Amino acid sequence: MRSRGAFERYLNRSGWIFVAPAVALFAVFMAYPILSSLYLVTRKWKGLTDSFIGLGNFVRMFKDSLFWDSLGHNFILMVVQVPVMIALSLLFAVILHHGVRKFRGAFRLILFLPAITSLVAYSILFRILLQTNGLANNIMLDAGLLTQPIAWLNDPFWANVTIMVALTWRWTGYNMIFFLVGLQNIDPEIYEAAEVDGAPKVMQFFRITLPLLLPVILFSLVTSTSGMLQLFDEPNILTNQGGPANATMTAALYIYRQAFVLSSDFGYATSMSYVIVLLAGVLAIIQIRVLGGRNK
Amino acid sequence: MKRTISFVLTVALLLSTAAVGFAAPSKVTVWCWDPNFNGYAMKQAALVYNKMKPDVTIDIVDFPNSDAVMQKMQAAMQAGGAGLPDVALVQDFQIEQLIENYPGVLADMKAAGVDFTQFATYKVGPMTQGSKIYGIPFDSGSTGLFLRADYLKQAGLDPAKYQKNMTWTEVTALGKIVKAKINKPLIAFDSTDWTFVRMMAQSAGAQWFNTSGKLDLTNAAIRPAIATLKSMYDAGILYPTEGWNNWVSAFNNGDAGGLMSAVWIVGTIKSQPTNAGKWMVVPTPSLDGVKGAQNASNWGGSSWYVFDKAPNKAGAIDFMKSVWASKDAAALGFYNTILKGAGAMGTYLPSGKGSNYTAADEFFYNKQAVFGDFAKWMANVPALRYTANYNAWGSAISASLAKMYKGELKTPDDVLKDATTVYEQTISQ
Repeated sequence: MRSRGAFERYLNRSGWIFVAPAVALFAVFMAYPILSSLYLVTRKWKGLTDSFIGLGNFVRMFKDSLFWDSLGHNFILMVVQVPVMIALSLLFAVILHHGVRKFRGAFRLILFLPAITSLVAYSILFRILLQTNGLANNIMLDAGLLTQPIAWLNDPFWANVTIMVALTWRWTGYNMIFFLVGLQNIDPEIYEAAEVDGAPKVMQFFRITLPLLLPVILFSLVTSTSGMLQLFDEPNILTNQGGPANATMTAALYIYRQAFVLSSDFGYATSMSYVIVLLAGVLAIIQIRVLGGRNK
Repeated sequence: MKRTISFVLTVALLLSTAAVGFAAPSKVTVWCWDPNFNGYAMKQAALVYNKMKPDVTIDIVDFPNSDAVMQKMQAAMQAGGAGLPDVALVQDFQIEQLIENYPGVLADMKAAGVDFTQFATYKVGPMTQGSKIYGIPFDSGSTGLFLRADYLKQAGLDPAKYQKNMTWTEVTALGKIVKAKINKPLIAFDSTDWTFVRMMAQSAGAQWFNTSGKLDLTNAAIRPAIATLKSMYDAGILYPTEGWNNWVSAFNNGDAGGLMSAVWIVGTIKSQPTNAGKWMVVPTPSLDGVKGAQNASNWGGSSWYVFDKAPNKAGAIDFMKSVWASKDAAALGFYNTILKGAGAMGTYLPSGKGSNYTAADEFFYNKQAVFGDFAKWMANVPALRYTANYNAWGSAISASLAKMYKGELKTPDDVLKDATTVYEQTISQ
């Protein structure tokens, strides 16, 4: 009995040694910044000057309509783009898994390629393609699809469409890979049984594929949602710092601008970041509750 | 063989590390952002300085843009100065923000013995705080209206008749003729940015902030400037573009018959050799009926700053003083070189007599000596008070102007009111 206790202590000790590097890194690069930013939230910190203002940053945030507008843009993008993208990813995954026999690898590569291009590079490319006298407009004008060019970057509505199109291009293949893996984990015998029972393909999709993929869909939803709340590169580069007229300003971009461009106001920027983190957490919990319920 | 090579490489590497280590005291690191413009100028300055002091290395670090320099600088200043270079380039409109938010970070160049009466006054203003003057002024942003002489001819006009001081009303009339005759908008402008309206207002001495740094929109030139922009926009003589690259391609490809810009755009215009002989530059048009309206304005320009905690502060100051603020023949020759080489027009007044100012420029219509003209106009530029919140205001009014183009905001007062609301919220104290 006694020796076992010593052995356990020994195990514990070596266990601690093994996790120590990870814990140390976590402490330095995660825990410390989070704790020290908690202190920042209560400060009015501009450049090198800094004073205590309690909840002043949150009072200010409450009255800052640009912040709420930015958050609103995040939500519009999220509500419209995320479902479209997930549906597309699912569609491509199902087609690749069940439909395509030849060149499957090539198609997979083509669809996944956008996910590994640099955010900055693709934003700049989209910008060049979509400017008023850019390739996209010129092709559609020449083909007679348009009578006058679309202001992809200069009209509040189209600028949001542009961002959604760009995001969909960038992330559909990425999510598709998860769905493909999910599909491969579904036992083919289930489909065979359904065939024998005479279930049509559409019913197979809704009754078998979709329910069994639910955990993967949930994962995609949660990561896409939190990614959407942190959306930064596209509005910064593609639509020129949240333009036109702040129509594509997102919360993350606004936070960056408050900290580094407009006023070196790190206290206010940090406070806004806390709100975003809380929102992302709440949304994730809701999604897990709603979609994950059936698994429990 | 392989082993010999790797041995040689290792030794070389060790030696070079050692060399850097030993040479550290006589190295001056400079941060800037455009290898064809300010980076080029710094390189030329280094060449001149190395003739005086061959053992000093001027290490020029290129950044993708001015924002990147600002961001890295702010991070370093937050960290108590660790990682700062010796010298950095800062846009004039951002320096007051930096001085206010980061007190004591920059070295006082007046105390270091620089004679600031030899620099253009409007450049020294923003870098002055009380009795201290930080920084060495770099380039001028003296503006002019660039016009395609060949388009005017196609429209049946004589370009020479427009090479004079004009008002915006005259320019609008010209634009309407060109539009009617050859169906080209006269002026390409970046509709995501308020610079156009700011240039117009500055030509009449408009200020957006009072002397204590508070937003103050009572100046008599502000509303006429916005109204003029709107009437030109509505007349269809402007070609709105989305950001910088789109703007450059619009005037270089000939989508528009001209642009309002500053002397530093000359290099970009010349980058399209097929346009040789087609461009001419006329003075900045003035605002009608506004008292004190000039035919001169400014856009951009930046200046060099030495950090107080720079690793090699003394070396940096010596370098800046002996090349950028010296009447030495070699130093003045340097200013003449960068004017021709990059269109970088210095603001060190004694350098204004360089030969390249009066040299005929084959690229321009009738071999116009454009640099001489820009230098002449520079003398009349009214000084602009940027203040610490210039960036926030510019961002707010740019958005409101965009709403005006869309027709959501009608009058200059609507624009100013809308912008003020957003501005107050973004900077809220």
